[in-house]
Amino acid sequence: MTTHGKPIPQDEPVVVVIGSGAGGGTVAHELAAQGVKVVVLEAGPYLTADDYTNDEWPAFNQMAWLDMRTTSGSYRVARDFPNLPAWIVKAVGGTTTHWAGATPRFMAHEFAARSTYGEVEGANLLDWPVTLEEMEPWYDRAEKAMGSSHRHGRPPLPANNNYKVFANGAERAGYTYYATGPYATNAEPYDGRPATVQDGFNFQGDKSGAKWSTLVREIPRALESGNAELRPLSQAVRITHGPDGRVDAVEYLDADGNLHRQATRAVCVAGNSIETPRLLLMSDSPSHPDGLANSSGQVGRNYMRHLTGSAYARFEQPVRMYRGETMAGIIADEAVHDPSRGFVGGYYMETLSLGPAFLASFVEPGSWGREFTRLMDAYAHTAGMWLVGEDMPQESNRITLDPDVKDQWGLPAPHVHFDDHPNDIAMRRHAYRAADTIYRAAGALGVHHTPPYPATHNLGSCRMAADPADGPLNGWGQAHDVPNLFVSDGSVMTTGGAANPTLTIVALAMRQADHLCELLRTGEL
Amino acid sequence: MADKDSATIKRDTSSALRGGPAALTSRQRQVLVRLLRVAYPHDSFPDGPYERTADAVVEATADDRRLAATLGPDLDMLDTICGGDFLGAPDEEATLILREYADEPYFRQIRGVAVVALYDDREVWDLLGYEGPSFDQGGYLHRGFDDLDWLPDPRITEFDGEPRTEMRTPEEDSR
Ligand SMILES: Cc1cc2nc3c(=O)[nH]c(=O)nc-3n(C[C@H](O)[C@H](O)[C@H](O)COP(=O)(O)OP(=O)(O)OC[C@H]3O[C@@H](n4cnc5c(N)ncnc54)[C@H](O)[C@@H]3O)c2cc1C
Repeated sequence: MTTHGKPIPQDEPVVVVIGSGAGGGTVAHELAAQGVKVVVLEAGPYLTADDYTNDEWPAFNQMAWLDMRTTSGSYRVARDFPNLPAWIVKAVGGTTTHWAGATPRFMAHEFAARSTYGEVEGANLLDWPVTLEEMEPWYDRAEKAMGSSHRHGRPPLPANNNYKVFANGAERAGYTYYATGPYATNAEPYDGRPATVQDGFNFQGDKSGAKWSTLVREIPRALESGNAELRPLSQAVRITHGPDGRVDAVEYLDADGNLHRQATRAVCVAGNSIETPRLLLMSDSPSHPDGLANSSGQVGRNYMRHLTGSAYARFEQPVRMYRGETMAGIIADEAVHDPSRGFVGGYYMETLSLGPAFLASFVEPGSWGREFTRLMDAYAHTAGMWLVGEDMPQESNRITLDPDVKDQWGLPAPHVHFDDHPNDIAMRRHAYRAADTIYRAAGALGVHHTPPYPATHNLGSCRMAADPADGPLNGWGQAHDVPNLFVSDGSVMTTGGAANPTLTIVALAMRQADHLCELLRTGEL
Repeated sequence: MADKDSATIKRDTSSALRGGPAALTSRQRQVLVRLLRVAYPHDSFPDGPYERTADAVVEATADDRRLAATLGPDLDMLDTICGGDFLGAPDEEATLILREYADEPYFRQIRGVAVVALYDDREVWDLLGYEGPSFDQGGYLHRGFDDLDWLPDPRITEFDGEPRTEMRTPEEDSR
């Protein structure tokens, strides 16, 4: 097996980080930088910029998590893409290799959704055990690490063509809070990385390195520290614990399916919101009969995927939306809690562009005929935006182990059940109307409303909750039931907020790493 | 040209069995190409992209033995319904017939493959005005990422007046 970094014996109990994406890469780097020995297990291969391609399908097939998954529920993804509930990357760097880069913060009230929104029927709202005030210094650190534009002296990105349409429409429609960021791609060289060449392939892995990802920053730095070993093509399949109730090892499969065992002092699970609960559920034992750390019964529940929806507008004149930074355009005016709109929570609008093959697949799944080809014929004259907002946590939106379907290792495939909440539907309707208003104001000939894609934002499913009865983790992402077990990825989110999640995931992981170091230093772990 | 390996979105093949691709008669293949043209009508597209998409469809039937066996007869059926000649039927009539069969598994599966294969085709990219890979040409930085000139240049920085209202409750007067 090819290893990276300083080799660590399998019988040496170290901190094991499972997953190398936004949460895992960050926690591994922070721990290693503070002198803690870390083994990072990553299910996917170690691919770098040279491997990436400026081509949608090959890039997707090269890196997306395509192991068997199943779906159910009333959401359209279950019908259109029954085995692809989510777009998640299986490679070193995780989904930060394919992410776009938008980095808005959560707002104060979003950390207190239950007390702000009140009781929303059918929703399982809860206040976070963390406040914005506590998060602010970590947000600052995360923005500096990621190089967010518009923050801490980082300049804004210039306007690409898609943004020009978007921002002009916003201005004419009466919106105020629009800009080309915050966005974690360099407008000018920063942190050893170059400025963007506006190649337009954000979702395919960035060949230039202008875009932040844990692949370009946290992972190499963790390895350089001499305290970390990265094992790619190593999929964790079970976390075991001793009679004292503490986790003591992680079992994982290498590329050939051979089982290995790494001893642990503590474990940080960061496999993204479908694999993280799956792994805990697969790690059941006589003392954890419903899955590890699941005395609350909440592991896998309250899965969120954000509002999502997109709008594509046709114009008389060319736009060429695909040129340049894909999502460097954000309107924040509707990211407000204003129940007079008929729903709680709010949403952002962000520029978006897909190439022809992705647009054809996702713009109106299953559609064909003249109506459909009219959309495609207008490709060069099309502008696009994404609608992203807070969806309601629901107990029944849930990751479980499929009793019938197995993955390529013979392990139970994760099953994703998702129904839209009426609040999600009302918000989406409002957002589509806002998109119409913006694009019509910029002169659109027509606007097409595209249904949600496979989820790029996967949240919840192992929520932090002050009361152990409400969720498996405390406010540090530490399991209520198991003191040396942590979750370090987007699964920890108590509620979803309107903002894209990665900045918050990174800030939380930094905060958790500091806490974990403290526990290690004081001998509590 | 559509890369064979790339033209696969994840489909439910859990119940399918791999085998050889469908063996179509030349008539059946012509019907398939015509079906694709009627399903995805682009006046500006020549035959090439539709022919290559038909290849991709045939190739994909290898993933599903049942489909490989039924594709030919399903295409024959289109001829039968058209009184013997799907190729000669006017576009409108052909479209109406396909509408009737929109939910048939064969037509759904053909569309699943075609929608990727057709639009992942380099000739189609040119026809639609998509320029594709750009990194080896220095991105679009000096090739028009900001050349839209039919609208004024908008502000790119954040609004520097009043901070945004984040919450409005019925009691508060806002905006
Ligand atoms: C196209 C796209 C655009 C996006 N744009 C934005 C954006 O603009 N802004 C934003 O904030 N967010 C964006 N996101 C979302 C963002 O990428 C994710 O929210 C974020 O990466 C999630 O972090 P994570 O740590 O939870 O998981 P990931 O980053 O997905 O990392 C999980 C890692 O764990 C590995 N893994 C899983 N299970 C195991 C196991 N059992 N053993 C070992 N390894 C395992 C996976 O292979 C993966 O590498 C985008 C996502 C996509 C797909």
